[in-house]
Amino acid sequence: VKSILKIALGIIAAIGGFLDIGDLVFNTQAGALYRYDLLWAVALGTLGIAIYAEMSGRVAAVTGRPVFDVIRMRMGYGMGLVALIASTAVNVLTVAAELGGLAIVLELLFDAPFSLFVIVAAIALVLVVALLPFGGIERLFGYGGLLLLVIVAVAFHQDPEWEEVAKGFIPSFTNSLLYFYFVMGVFAAALMPYEVHFYSSGGIEEGWTEENLRENRLNAVVGYAVGGVLACALVVISGYLFHPLGVEPNDLGTVALPAQSAFGETGLLLGLGGILFCVGGAAIDSSFSASYNLAQFLGWEWGRERGPDKAPRFTASWLIFLLLALLIVESGINPVEITEYAVVFSVVALPLTYLPILLVAGDRSFMGRHANGRFSSILGWLYFGVIVVLALTAVPLLLATNGGGG
Amino acid sequence: MRVRRSFPTAGAALVIAVALGLSSGCGDLSRGELSRGVESLSALAAQGALVADGVRRDATKATYARAMARTLGGEAEHEAEKLADATPAPEGERERDAAVRAAADLADLFSELQIFPADERRGARVQHQMHEAEEEINGIVVRLTGEEP
Repeated sequence: VKSILKIALGIIAAIGGFLDIGDLVFNTQAGALYRYDLLWAVALGTLGIAIYAEMSGRVAAVTGRPVFDVIRMRMGYGMGLVALIASTAVNVLTVAAELGGLAIVLELLFDAPFSLFVIVAAIALVLVVALLPFGGIERLFGYGGLLLLVIVAVAFHQDPEWEEVAKGFIPSFTNSLLYFYFVMGVFAAALMPYEVHFYSSGGIEEGWTEENLRENRLNAVVGYAVGGVLACALVVISGYLFHPLGVEPNDLGTVALPAQSAFGETGLLLGLGGILFCVGGAAIDSSFSASYNLAQFLGWEWGRERGPDKAPRFTASWLIFLLLALLIVESGINPVEITEYAVVFSVVALPLTYLPILLVAGDRSFMGRHANGRFSSILGWLYFGVIVVLALTAVPLLLATNGGGG
Repeated sequence: MRVRRSFPTAGAALVIAVALGLSSGCGDLSRGELSRGVESLSALAAQGALVADGVRRDATKATYARAMARTLGGEAEHEAEKLADATPAPEGERERDAAVRAAADLADLFSELQIFPADERRGARVQHQMHEAEEEINGIVVRLTGEEP
């Protein structure tokens, strides 16, 4: 019973912790612009992150090696360093975006200057990390993020034409570059590299072994799949409310408007609360990822569970990354713009993260009987092909569409 | 995302400028830009009407309505400044002036919402005026593009 409960709690935390500011903004934008047409891309991205998170968790549980360790081992020092620099830059941008998102939500809830709330948010994150154990941090943000289930309720309350919604899951293409920009955006927002870095390192923090493989599979597959329902619900409620009105949701606060329209102040508060926990959790995940990667690459002691005494350089680097993110947000750049750059540039770094996972997870000499089977291998390589195409087209699409401005 | 661009480096801005120049006919650019600017005003008005609807129904939190009105009002003001600074083609000048006036009116409506985020009567009035402003702005878009937005 205890083990079933643990698995259930892990799945619940994965659901609540699935969305970050990139998903919130890109999916809402996608719905407003293309109604339900991009639901297929959200589903595709969700399946992709479930596949790769499961692989990275399996590699961590079987070999005791987190993703960045694997990257360096498989790609060597030179390419590993390139991957480290790219992923650190993207991670710091992501932390800045999430920190800015936290400050925006606090501003919407308490109406004080944004720049003050950036500092408050950073201090709150430091306190949470200092006071709670690793599992406690995961559960706090995972369970809190479940408040966002209100958007699923909003979708049912709106009662859209479900046949039209279902058609959105069939891939469709137009000759519009802007459409492809958003395909890339919603796909990449689901597959941010920090998610697998954090997932695999977190598995090691929690002492996963081969005995945890079932838990890993259920967390990744069920947790991310249900999290994907939240992501799809964002597209649906935005497509239903914003698309016919021509609203362009350029602000994080707009994401909560459909909940207000459907359920009044209660809906609004649930929506804002859910966003707060989702972006807060993502701020922790992405900042930890930056430190995990650096420490694993350089061979430092690492881990929240080891604490500042046993892993001082890991802890110091975490604080430095958070400070860098704080400075970026305080420089006045719109957090939504930072989000966009973080998502688009992460696409470029995706192959450097996912190729080594795929190679190691399929290597029988390394993984033994837990190596990828034929089905996992085919799916993994198919996704890797998609990832490479996106990596090659991301920046040209960003430039050609004026950053999604049309 | 359809947000205002402010690329961090001059190099990136140059790349974008070249890309935009290559991807669009320079003669139509100012008219196209003008209509895009006006369309974003229409989107702001639609969003403002939703925020005001929450105030009208007493279905929002005052801090949320105030902060949203401040943000959206800032965007309307910025759009007004951008349009006012632009030099449109002669045949677009009248529409540009109308758009600047509409943007300034929108900014005023957002200011009212910002000051009275819990006043249901004002919320109803602002919502109504937002709809009127949106219709007026859509009329400008039609004159510019010949198409319904």
